[in-house]
Amino acid sequence: MIENILGGFSNIFAVGPILGILIGIFVGIIFGAIPGISAIMAIAIILPLTFYVDPVIGITMLLAVYKAGIYGGSISAILINTPGAAAAFLTAQDGYSLTKAGKSGKALCMALYASVTGEMLSTIVLIFVAAPISVISLKAGPIERVYLLLFAFTVIGSISGESIPRGLLSCCLGMLFATVGMSSITGATRLTLGIPDLMSGFTFTPMLIGVLVMPEVINAIKQRKTPHADLKLTKSANPADNRISWKEYKSVLGTIIKSSGIGTFIGSLPGLGSSPAAFLAYGEAKRSSKNPEEFGKGSIRGIAAAESANNAVCGASMIPMLTLSIPGDDVTALLMGAFLIHGITPGPTIFYEHTSVIYSIFAGFLLTDVFLLFIARGGFMFWTKVASVPRYFIFPCVTVFAFAGSFTANQNINDVLVLIGFTMVGYGMRLVGLNPAAFIIGFILTPLFEQNLDQAVAIVGTDYQMFITTPFAWIFTGLAVLSVYSTIRQRRKAKRLVAETVSQQLEKTEDIKV
Amino acid sequence: MNRRKIDIVMSAILIVASIIILTNDNLVEGGMETELGSMFVPRVVAFFIIMFAGTIGAQSVMKMLRSEKLAAVEKIDTRGFAGIAIYFAIFTLYWLLVSHLGFIITTALVMFSIAYLLGGRNWIAITAISVITPLLVYYGCSKYLRVFLPTWTLF
Repeated sequence: MIENILGGFSNIFAVGPILGILIGIFVGIIFGAIPGISAIMAIAIILPLTFYVDPVIGITMLLAVYKAGIYGGSISAILINTPGAAAAFLTAQDGYSLTKAGKSGKALCMALYASVTGEMLSTIVLIFVAAPISVISLKAGPIERVYLLLFAFTVIGSISGESIPRGLLSCCLGMLFATVGMSSITGATRLTLGIPDLMSGFTFTPMLIGVLVMPEVINAIKQRKTPHADLKLTKSANPADNRISWKEYKSVLGTIIKSSGIGTFIGSLPGLGSSPAAFLAYGEAKRSSKNPEEFGKGSIRGIAAAESANNAVCGASMIPMLTLSIPGDDVTALLMGAFLIHGITPGPTIFYEHTSVIYSIFAGFLLTDVFLLFIARGGFMFWTKVASVPRYFIFPCVTVFAFAGSFTANQNINDVLVLIGFTMVGYGMRLVGLNPAAFIIGFILTPLFEQNLDQAVAIVGTDYQMFITTPFAWIFTGLAVLSVYSTIRQRRKAKRLVAETVSQQLEKTEDIKV
Repeated sequence: MNRRKIDIVMSAILIVASIIILTNDNLVEGGMETELGSMFVPRVVAFFIIMFAGTIGAQSVMKMLRSEKLAAVEKIDTRGFAGIAIYFAIFTLYWLLVSHLGFIITTALVMFSIAYLLGGRNWIAITAISVITPLLVYYGCSKYLRVFLPTWTLF
């Protein structure tokens, strides 16, 4: 393994990959820092550009966008109390309090150091854990993979939606759209309604941009009358307020390591994402802190916990994707699409078929963290200025990049129509509480599911009990049932909590009136 | 807007579409025969869609019958929808016109329109960006990606 890692570093230290990482970091921080735009938008827009470069350059560039974008989200959260993602909500609480106290430099530094440390630790876990897991998962045949994919559909569908039926419906819709066109197994054309352009199915890139990216543009159009918030970096006269000293960093290092562990664990489970990781780590840091009352009022420990956990999810979320072909969230689904476009199928065989590429990507992961640290630290003022660009400059450009990205996939103008159609679908899904990420994951995994199901049926023949005699069948069915059950319980508990809080507040209001 | 009504309409449409998938044999053409058949997975998925869409629709109907108060997520804020309709109209026109007017001209017009829609009134800057961006994208695509975006074919 060490030999492979060293080989990966020797591949990544070339002009192309380094340039790709630098571009990725630059784009990621800007997109992450602009309120209302997320890292996923940056990845989807930059994705078509990567079709034409080497997989190592393309994929490391996308991963750099991802990592830098997650960090960039903390800039707007700290400076204007506008978290770009739910995961940055807690960073906003403590970070904005520090900004109001004139210590925005301190908050930004803490967020950066915690992010980079969390990402690095999680990447190291990814490097050392992914390959051994893939050895185990290599032993799984088509029958086991069918159960694994059914488990993935159930978990992602039940966790990600507004409610379990909505999440599972989103996943099923993605699966249904994936079956349109020529079947890779029988060669039959299905559900094309006689439209020849649909013979090859829906083009992935315009569909992806339409479902995941364009609804954010539509949201910006909808909220076009809300005033634009300018990001401003206030510098304190006291230099200690503008930075984090080594002593301060050392004092929160324990929290960072613990939170990174929580983030890595949560990230490696499909469907959970960065928000639960940030909330769990923050809660744990508050519980174990000597001064819990400081949390939410400008605690650097709070920022460290939320940011390290939030960013640790980045590397860990690649574990289920690279070892089991299960993308855990929308970003990893998008990255899985990028791998597939480059002719690399994520899964246990990736470590044997594309050893050099995968370890180069891992090396790129670590290099991205180092570059991110220096690039972000070197220009807080610059990033805040760039991220303050008014939306009437940004969204027209996003529209054009989405158009060009959709067109470049097949050089077919009708793909733009697919983009428009799926933009409507994506926005409509958000309005009715369906989950676009579950939709995309359903879309990506269905061909794999169909292929494995066909192989499994061929293996089983008339010996049907083979479907239930494998231990994987019981394990994954049990896990799927457990995940649905625990989601139902958690949601009931959350509902009860909300009802109790509302009734308590009502009682308080009545008391005040009396 | 009341989301429950939309839920009911959506569920009805999805259930009808799924029933068509389950019952219509003309939705598949050609292909070799396998044990499962080409329509096995679409039909299984259609069955589950009926189940989940039915659950969502039934829940909404029950809530409406019980006259339950709308939860925050069940209220759809329709403010700003006119802007969304204009945006889709601009995008559709973009798709229709780009083959005739070419990428550079259409994109400049589209960018200017969207910037105006978003409240941009800084005319010089908007015009400059609307002209420079399509030129850069066109040059970058043709020179580095070897992707040739549509050109002027009006005459």
